[in-house]
Amino acid sequence: MISSRRTKDILLYKTYAELKAEAQRNFLGFLWWVIEPILFMLVFYFVFGKLLGRRPEAFIPFLLVGLVVWLWGQATIAQGAAAITANRGLLNQAFVPKALFPTVIFLKNTFKFLFALLMLLIFLVAYGFEATPIWLEAIPVLVVGGLFILGSAYLAAALTPFFPDLQVLIDNGLRVLFFISGIFYDIDTLNTSYKAVFQANPAAVLIDSLRTILLAGEHADWWRLGSVLAGALCIGGAGYAIMRVNESRYAKIAY
Amino acid sequence: MPRSPTKGRRPLLSLASAGVCYRRRRTLRSAGTLHWALSDVSFEVMSGETVGILGRNGSGKTTLLKVLAGIIEPDRGKIERNHSSISMLSLQVGFLPQLSGRENALLSSVLLGEDRMAAKRNLDAIVRFAGLEDCIDDPLATYSSGMRARLGFSVAYHTTPELLLIDEVLGVGDQEFRQKSTAAIKELIKSDRTVVLVSHNLPTIRELCDRVVWIENGESRMVGPTEEVIEAYLR
Repeated sequence: MISSRRTKDILLYKTYAELKAEAQRNFLGFLWWVIEPILFMLVFYFVFGKLLGRRPEAFIPFLLVGLVVWLWGQATIAQGAAAITANRGLLNQAFVPKALFPTVIFLKNTFKFLFALLMLLIFLVAYGFEATPIWLEAIPVLVVGGLFILGSAYLAAALTPFFPDLQVLIDNGLRVLFFISGIFYDIDTLNTSYKAVFQANPAAVLIDSLRTILLAGEHADWWRLGSVLAGALCIGGAGYAIMRVNESRYAKIAY
Repeated sequence: MPRSPTKGRRPLLSLASAGVCYRRRRTLRSAGTLHWALSDVSFEVMSGETVGILGRNGSGKTTLLKVLAGIIEPDRGKIERNHSSISMLSLQVGFLPQLSGRENALLSSVLLGEDRMAAKRNLDAIVRFAGLEDCIDDPLATYSSGMRARLGFSVAYHTTPELLLIDEVLGVGDQEFRQKSTAAIKELIKSDRTVVLVSHNLPTIRELCDRVVWIENGESRMVGPTEEVIEAYLR
């Protein structure tokens, strides 16, 4: 009923449209893609670096790596949860495969992320970090991270229309995750029995791996990343399957 | 004049005892309830014919169109499809105010089922029909509602599904464009295209349809040649 070619066309146009729409919504436009993580970083730098005086070495690069990755995942999953409901007008006018909506959100945020990442790498070099071949290891880490984020967005998008309360839970869950993922502190320096739990969460694994590669210039722990990949495939597969099975039911949900 | 009955043509779509049930969402204070918007609808659409759907408000016509379009599937009964493409003549599908008229036309065409190349090929015709040559690269946000309506209509009008679904032949825009768009739709319906047309307007149905399906309370009360069904409907 719907060709993969048409799906690709819609993906392309929708993603372009969303990016352009976002860039034109205000005066600074796409510059916000870089300014946002920097503003975010300044807050944490001030609170944790200055006021509380607990800062790891090279705190600004440390914070930036964490925040850039975090904003990518957080925005994609939070917007992904609302992706199908936000397009309910469209759902009632034409048949569109539902997986397309969270995919567009993912592509849009990934594009913004890559832009911010490029700025981050330039900043790191300017700051004095050496760009070595080991930086290339960041690519598979980002692929695993992207798959995990896409998978989570699929599952959130698939379930939220049926259980609208999930949106609130997801927003709050993300807030908790933000605090336990070692974005503005180093989990290794923690001295609690929760440390293992914190370290097991996928966001922490991704951020930690990226810091290991970019800031310490060392190899990432591929076993931990492998388990994140396995998790990504499970939840993403489940989310995709739920959307496929219920393809024609989303348009019927009374909002 | 309507064309002769369509014996010997191949069915593009057939519904057998189709029903659609809406469930009202359950909350802490209220249990979910079921509502059958369609309960028992059967008819066929043959290639090349125009089928009218007649019925009062709330009889289930819009739900029926959504089932035909594949937007929702029937909860009971059967639907069989033998067409390559189908779409509703929906206006301004997926329009975004920040994009230019041109970009919206492409996005909307693709959403309505055209492929990208065909959408690009059609673009000049779309713009010309809408009479928006001078401002097609301006953001849609700067358009008046009449200009948006013209663009929306023109995009939908230029899509070419094998089976076209139309909810009311309504011209849009100002007086002049309304006449032009109404005439264009009527031409389109009278051509060899296969069309399912929902309308309140009996003269329109009489003018355009070969056969009519009369829907009441979610059931198909009568299916047959236009005059016979309208006569029974008015009785």
